[in-house]
This record gives sequence, C-alpha cells and structure tokens, in this order.
Amino acid sequence: MNRGTARIVTRIYPRAWRGRYAEEFTYFLEEEHRGMRAILNVVRAAMWERIFPTVGGRMEQNIYSFGSMLKKPSAFLPLAMSVGALATVAIAAIVAAQHGGHLGGQKDEGTAAHMWQLLMTVQVPIVLWFAANWLRRAPRASFGVLALQAGAWVASLAPVYLLHL
Amino acid sequence: MLASLASGPKHGHAMLDDIAAMCGTRLGPGTLYGAIARLEQQGWIEPLAPEERRQPYQITAAGLQVLRARLTTLARFAKAGLRRLEPL
Repeated sequence: MNRGTARIVTRIYPRAWRGRYAEEFTYFLEEEHRGMRAILNVVRAAMWERIFPTVGGRMEQNIYSFGSMLKKPSAFLPLAMSVGALATVAIAAIVAAQHGGHLGGQKDEGTAAHMWQLLMTVQVPIVLWFAANWLRRAPRASFGVLALQAGAWVASLAPVYLLHL
Repeated sequence: MLASLASGPKHGHAMLDDIAAMCGTRLGPGTLYGAIARLEQQGWIEPLAPEERRQPYQITAAGLQVLRARLTTLARFAKAGLRRLEPL
C-alpha cells in the first residue's frame, strides 16, 4: 500500500486511537501488499473502532512522549555535554578569580577552553543524528527535545560570548 | 496473537506470518491492530522500543496467565470432544 493511501485510511480511525497507533500502523500498512482487500479490512476495523472505541488501560500511553524521547542517548548526551561545557567555564572562572587573574587574558587557551570547545562541537553531529532519526517519526516530542538541546547549547555559549572569554 | 507472542516479541508482520503458519488464516491489518489495541488495553501485551519504524510487542505475565488458562480449557474441550467421537 502506498504512503498516501495508508495515511488516508488511517485517518478513518478516531483521534484517540490515531494518537496511540497512527505512526506504527501507517508504516505497517506501507508494508502491506494485499491491495483492496487490506483497505476494506482497515475501513471496516476503523468504523468498528468508531462504534466501539478502545479506551483506558494503556491506550493513553504514548511511547513517543517527550519524557521517553528524552531518555534516548542522542537526546540526553548533548544536554549533558552542554551542562558539562557550562560547568567547565564556571569552574575555570572560579579558579581564575581565586588566583586573582582573568579567564580571558591568557595567551594559551588552556585545558578548560579545549574541553569547552570539544563538548560544544562533538554534540552537534549527535543532535543532527537525533533530528534525522526522530523528527519525522515523533515531530512534536522531537521538536521539544531539540529546543531544549538548542537552549542548553546557547546557555553554554552565552557566558563565553558575553564575558569575551 | 497471545500464542504467537508466547514464542517471543514480534512486530505486526511477523505476527501475521506466525498466525498464518499456526492456523492457516491471514488476518487483515485492521483486524490485527484492533486486536493489538484491545490486548494492550487489557495489559496482556506491551510495546517494546521501536525498531526503525516497526513496533514490536511482547506478551506480559498477565497475558501468559490468560493464554495458559484459555489453552488448558481448549485442550480439555478438545479431549472431551474427541473422546465422544471414539465410539462412532
């Protein structure tokens, strides 16, 4: 079944059912090769679902929720790296202040700066990988995670930019 | 479907193939997902992490209990029915 037909017949199902199963069901239908017979079966099942809806239990469970997406390594690793980068800047600034110096005044960038650069750079391909893998499958939750990752990245960049480090 | 998942987690098409091999009937996609939704609602099956875009399911402990009870009843029924056929 082609993607367009799969999406159209999936839309016959009630909203609650679609919210839980549309994603996997559409893909399942794309791999289905029984043509008209399959379409008629889906239409009949969708009408039945409208009359006798499946409710309660695990029906409301969303496996593509923001929380479950955040547990994926490609989602939380960039966040952890941004936090690490921010912590690196903060620690380096505190140490420099204790020694009466200024963090931005050094000739050599130093270990802290290299760590910060590494953490900020390495997370970019991970974020791109996350976007490529999940944006189409779970757009809403993925946008949330990407926004959080972008926010954390900007937050780690801000002190370096504002303090001219 | 519970009997199919008893041999291990499967995604939709693997379930269809397995059920067709077990009982000679190939379910339609709407019938399959109607059953998946209801079994999941009962807590007898549960989704696993998606593999690419395929969604595998596995039977739960409650599902195994139900399956065992139903198969035991069916076996008893089949045995009694066959015993009655013996004199004929």
